[in-house]
Amino acid sequence: MSATSLVVNRHTSFQFKTSFAPCTIMQISRYDLDVLPRELMDIISRAPNFFLGAPIVIDLEKVNTLGEIDFVRLKAILVAQNLVPMGVRNGSPEQLEAAASQGLPALSIGKLSADTPKKKIEKSATRLVTSPIRSGMQVYAKEGDLVVTAPVSAGAELLSDGHIHVYGPLRGRAMAGVQGNRNARIFCRTLEAELISIAGYYLTKEDMQPMPESHGMIQVYLDDKQLRIETIS
Amino acid sequence: MAQIIVVTSGKGGVGKTTTSASIAVGLAERGFKTVVIDFDIGLRNLDLIMGCERRVIYDFVNVIRAEASLNQALIRDKHVTNLYILPASQTRDKDALTVEGVGAVLDELRKTFDYIVCDSPAGIERGATLAMYFADHAVVVTNPEVSSVRDSDRMLGLLSSKTKRAEEGREPITEHLLLTRYCPKRVAKGDMLSIGDVNEILAIPLLGVIPESTAVLRASNSGDPVILDKESDAGQAYSDAILRFLGQDIPFRFTEEKAHWLKRLFSMKEREAV
Repeated sequence: MSATSLVVNRHTSFQFKTSFAPCTIMQISRYDLDVLPRELMDIISRAPNFFLGAPIVIDLEKVNTLGEIDFVRLKAILVAQNLVPMGVRNGSPEQLEAAASQGLPALSIGKLSADTPKKKIEKSATRLVTSPIRSGMQVYAKEGDLVVTAPVSAGAELLSDGHIHVYGPLRGRAMAGVQGNRNARIFCRTLEAELISIAGYYLTKEDMQPMPESHGMIQVYLDDKQLRIETIS
Repeated sequence: MAQIIVVTSGKGGVGKTTTSASIAVGLAERGFKTVVIDFDIGLRNLDLIMGCERRVIYDFVNVIRAEASLNQALIRDKHVTNLYILPASQTRDKDALTVEGVGAVLDELRKTFDYIVCDSPAGIERGATLAMYFADHAVVVTNPEVSSVRDSDRMLGLLSSKTKRAEEGREPITEHLLLTRYCPKRVAKGDMLSIGDVNEILAIPLLGVIPESTAVLRASNSGDPVILDKESDAGQAYSDAILRFLGQDIPFRFTEEKAHWLKRLFSMKEREAV
């Protein structure tokens, strides 16, 4: 079956849409249905609007070794507080089956388990610069790589703790691995730089062999104590 | 809404004041109410180029310090209507300028003028940074020569980082390149950078190319901005630049070497032979 056959055509009476509706997870840490109504009421009274008609997913992670749970009563307690129980998660197979028979399906939304944390990477350590770096400007990518998609003028300085990639003309100085990373490299398209350096080892424009016009990329890396300049074809 | 134009270069002697005067006159000639301000405190020149040096009573610093009102300090230009000059102080130094003071004067001028042209001093010190700080447009004046190009590159860096628009994260200043003292003959000989060479490094839109011209020195000495010399090549090139600034698509002139009349005659003969 091809993927397109899943698309509902315009003549159907409905459409499927993906949505991320907010949903409150109620994690039960102690199974005690006698105290639950009072505790719930106490908390809801502090923010009645927030909880009014709120969809609730019951998380059984902390109580899934207990065995039988009275879902009829649990559901009734929630409904009595104007909450809308949607389903359960992280229960034992027996608990999930018992819940399903009371109209509370097993859900796998949100985080699955505390044992498999998914670390969200908010910001990459790579620094991206898209506007020209003019003479006298200095850009430093601390603890990461530096990517420049614009020209770097003579008299400008690029510094990076990692690699440096330049996709516009590189006419200024480029210093990679400034904290001593000897594996850092410099990648550029033309070799017009005033100075290139890796982990403190440097070459000035005068020391660089003129490179034949190439359509590929040029890479600079450190080979023992000597900077090597190569084309990548 | 008034537009603030800064005329800047970094390097001295490339033609900032000549350009400021001609841009201001050109805009006023086309009916825009314009004021041109000399930011070169201590090295006042604009009044000479505009030919109003004998009428300076109060200056920019007097206005900032509330020693005179703006109307007392503004000098009406003798060449065109709609144009006023705010001269610099010759007796103070550039520390007399403050961000608040300059901002207040510009806010006042914005109410009544269409264009405010700020003639920046050379260098990257206080006078120059304040001249560009409030700008909406920057005219970067460059000679076709390596040190001038590098200084202009430095100014473009400052324009994109040390101005109010940059600090507030608004749309960046509109940059214009004005190439002055251009000599096609020397470019052909390889003695001078070509338009292409300069553009490869600075990579901003070209507003105009002003040819090296005896008319410029003559205009400076007589106090009549060169744009008023409609016969001269430099005057015409400035007029073209004004039209381009106002959004017209004008072909570039004076950028090719004029062939000698004998040479042209020969090339005609050759064509006939073919």
